Amino acid sequence: MRILVLIPCYNEEENIVRVVRRLESACPGVDYLVINDCSTDSSPRLLSREGMNYLDLPVNLGIGGGVQCGYRYAVANGYDIAIQMDGDGQHDPAYLEDVVRPVAQGQLDLCIGSRFLKKEGFQTSFMRRVGIRFLSFLIFLFSGNRVLDVTSGFRACNREMMEYFVRHYATDYPEPESILAASLTGFRVGEVPVVMQERLGGVSSISAFNSVYFMIKVSLSLIISRLALHRSNRRNAA
Amino acid sequence: MTFRLQLFLILGTFVLLTVIYVFLKKGKLTVKYSLAWLGLSLALFIFALWPYCVYVIRDLLDMVMPSNVIFLLLFGFVLMVLLSLSVAVSQLATKNKTLTQACALLEKRVRQLEEQLREK
Repeated sequence: MRILVLIPCYNEEENIVRVVRRLESACPGVDYLVINDCSTDSSPRLLSREGMNYLDLPVNLGIGGGVQCGYRYAVANGYDIAIQMDGDGQHDPAYLEDVVRPVAQGQLDLCIGSRFLKKEGFQTSFMRRVGIRFLSFLIFLFSGNRVLDVTSGFRACNREMMEYFVRHYATDYPEPESILAASLTGFRVGEVPVVMQERLGGVSSISAFNSVYFMIKVSLSLIISRLALHRSNRRNAA
Repeated sequence: MTFRLQLFLILGTFVLLTVIYVFLKKGKLTVKYSLAWLGLSLALFIFALWPYCVYVIRDLLDMVMPSNVIFLLLFGFVLMVLLSLSVAVSQLATKNKTLTQACALLEKRVRQLEEQLREK
C-alpha cells in the first residue's frame, strides 16, 4: 500500500525542515510531499537545498488549493492513501499510523485525527473551541455525523476520497466543508484520538481578524452545501 | 418627464455607447461582457426616446416621479451586471486555481527530469 503524506507549507522556514526530518525518522516507509504555497520567506530555498520532495505553486492558492494540488499529485502517481499533515509541527508523526489504520483497513474513507476525543495535549484557545463546537454541531445537524475536531488538518483518506477532493475542494478553510460534503455524498468519515502540540514557530493561518470571516464563511458554506448536495451513494455522485 | 431629462439621458447613452465601442475596438472588453452594458444603454435609450413606457411602469409601481422609475430600473440593471461580474470572477478564480495546480505539477516533473539528466 502506497502512502503519501501531504505537508502544506506557507512561510514555515522555522519548522518545515524539522517537521519533514521528524516524519522521515518516525515513518520511514511513507513518501511525503511538501506543497510550498508560494511562500515569501526562505522556505522554497530550504526545500530545494535539503533535496526534499516538494511542489512549488507559482501563485498563492491558500490551504485548500494547495492540499487539492497534493491530492492531484497523489492520484496521478497512484497512491492508495494520502495523509494531510500541517507544516508547523502541530501534528506528531507518531500518530500517523493511528490516523491511517481505519482507512487502510477499509473502515473509513476519511479519518480525522482529533485532539478532542481524549482531550490530551494542546487544546487551542477557549474562543476557538467554541467556534469549532458550533461548526461540529452544524455538521451533525446537516449530516447526522458527529465529528468533534472539524478543523483538524491531520487527516487520512483513501483513493476514492482523493478523487472526489480533486473535483470538489474549497479554497480557503476547507476542512469543515470537506467533512460535510464527504458525509453527504456517502463517504464514511470518522475520527481517531491524537495528541497535538502547540506550533513550533511562526504564526497560525487564522488570525483574530480572520476568525470572524472564518466563522461566517464556513457556516454559510455548510448551509449551502447542505442545500446543494443531496444525500447520495458516492458511486453515483460524479 | 421633462425634455431636458430626456436630452440628458440620450446624451448619457451616447457617451456610454462610445466608451463601450472604444473598449471593444481596443480589445479591452470582450463582446461577451459588453452585452450586459449594451443592454443597459439600450434600455436607457428607449426610456429617453419613448417616455410613455416609463409612465406605464410608474403607474404599475405606483410611483410619483418618472425619473425615479428610471433610477430604480437602472439600479436593478446595474445590480444584475455586478452579479454577473462576480460570477465571472468566481469562474476565473476556479480556472486560475486549476491552472496553478497543473503548472506546479508540471514544474515538479520538469525539475525531476532535469535532475535525472544531470545524473546521467
